[in-house]
Amino acid sequence: MAGGLAIAAQLGASLVAVLALAGLARRLGLGGDVRIQSQDHARQIAFEALYGFAAVDVTVDRAGHSALLKDAQNHHSLITKVGNRFVTHRLASHLSAYLDQQFLTIDLDEPGTEPVTLNLGEDAQRWASGLRYLPL
Amino acid sequence: MILPDPISYAVPGFVVLIIAEMLWARRKAPLAYEPQDTLTSLMFGLGNQAAGLLFGALIWQISLWVYQWHLFDVQWTWWAWGLCFVLDDLMYYAFHRSAHRVRWFWASHVNHHSSQHYNLSTALRQTWTGFFAASFIFRFPLLIIGFPPAMVVFVGALNLIYQFWIHTEAIGRMPRWFEAVMNTPSHHRVHHAVNPGYLDKNYAGVFIIWDRMFGTFTPERDEDRPRYGIVRQLGSFNLIWGVFHEWVGIVRDVWSAPWRAKLGYLFAPPGWSHDGSRESSDTIKARWAEVHAERPVLQSVANLQHSNTELPPGP
Repeated sequence: MAGGLAIAAQLGASLVAVLALAGLARRLGLGGDVRIQSQDHARQIAFEALYGFAAVDVTVDRAGHSALLKDAQNHHSLITKVGNRFVTHRLASHLSAYLDQQFLTIDLDEPGTEPVTLNLGEDAQRWASGLRYLPL
Repeated sequence: MILPDPISYAVPGFVVLIIAEMLWARRKAPLAYEPQDTLTSLMFGLGNQAAGLLFGALIWQISLWVYQWHLFDVQWTWWAWGLCFVLDDLMYYAFHRSAHRVRWFWASHVNHHSSQHYNLSTALRQTWTGFFAASFIFRFPLLIIGFPPAMVVFVGALNLIYQFWIHTEAIGRMPRWFEAVMNTPSHHRVHHAVNPGYLDKNYAGVFIIWDRMFGTFTPERDEDRPRYGIVRQLGSFNLIWGVFHEWVGIVRDVWSAPWRAKLGYLFAPPGWSHDGSRESSDTIKARWAEVHAERPVLQSVANLQHSNTELPPGP
């Protein structure tokens, strides 16, 4: 009984320390804001993350939170912002894409990922069409 | 002999150092931290602590059972402590290399690498499934030699405590003699990086000499700044997915694979697939070498401008 209480107290103290440290990180304003600055920046991110993805066409979300890219073989990739880092996904034919005027929503249908909505302006329709014919 | 748990004594020091690093980050590198990532990493640590409380006694009993067959009676002498520490670090190297090259062990160890950040909170991003993966078997050779189980557990804890401080970008390089012998922030940044030239390098725990001896050492290069995480980034702060995602992947792959390939999805290197449709670190490095040969200019541009550039407030 006493041993159980000691363990519970130890875990409880650790939880308090965890929450305090995470709260301190927020309080100190750590994290910052990152955006995709340009098409070239998006190209770099995809090139590094996918080890040589050579984009020939790029569109960047108006807020710079995400981007869509295509290479010469019509492979598509999607860059999303997660916290203050970027994650690049290869797009596969099983994804779902929804077009709503200038907004293109992409659901990767992968565990742990949320649907991403890109504000692509006039580019949205063209990219939505392109996503229908992804290579397997 | 009953020895104290050095990790419980070190925890207050961990907290103080994390606070100190956060204050450094506030002034010098705010992007080094992301509060959600920090919370996730620390919750990994809390879960690891809970797993230790759950399974520690069982691992201890297994260790005593293995110790029955020890070859020598190593005594509690100063030289035995030193030798045990060094050999334990060699065993750690073997474990760590296996943890990156055998998917079964990687499924547990990937937790430690799944952050795209590299700071002291990342050090506490530890697995919940180490017992299930049977990572403790790598300490059996020391028990078979005859080092007392309590000594083996104690030096293992010291090894882990040493590794805490090297998870930082706040320290550039240590003095040359220290970099030559010891694992350092610079060496370990390489280990956590996903840059092709850094994959599967610098497995050391305390002494970097093991990597130098076994051909897995590479120095950090200023022109190739480390990018952290795993080759297929998680893209999520979901703790439960983070803990179990690779185990889920193993179950799916083994379930759907043809019989001749099932063991490969358990024990081949991460990224292996029976039809060659996926990328392992070896295929990535080979492809990168081809890309580098074809597109040296683009690569050098990529190195000049780091992906995570901080911007002034957006529109």
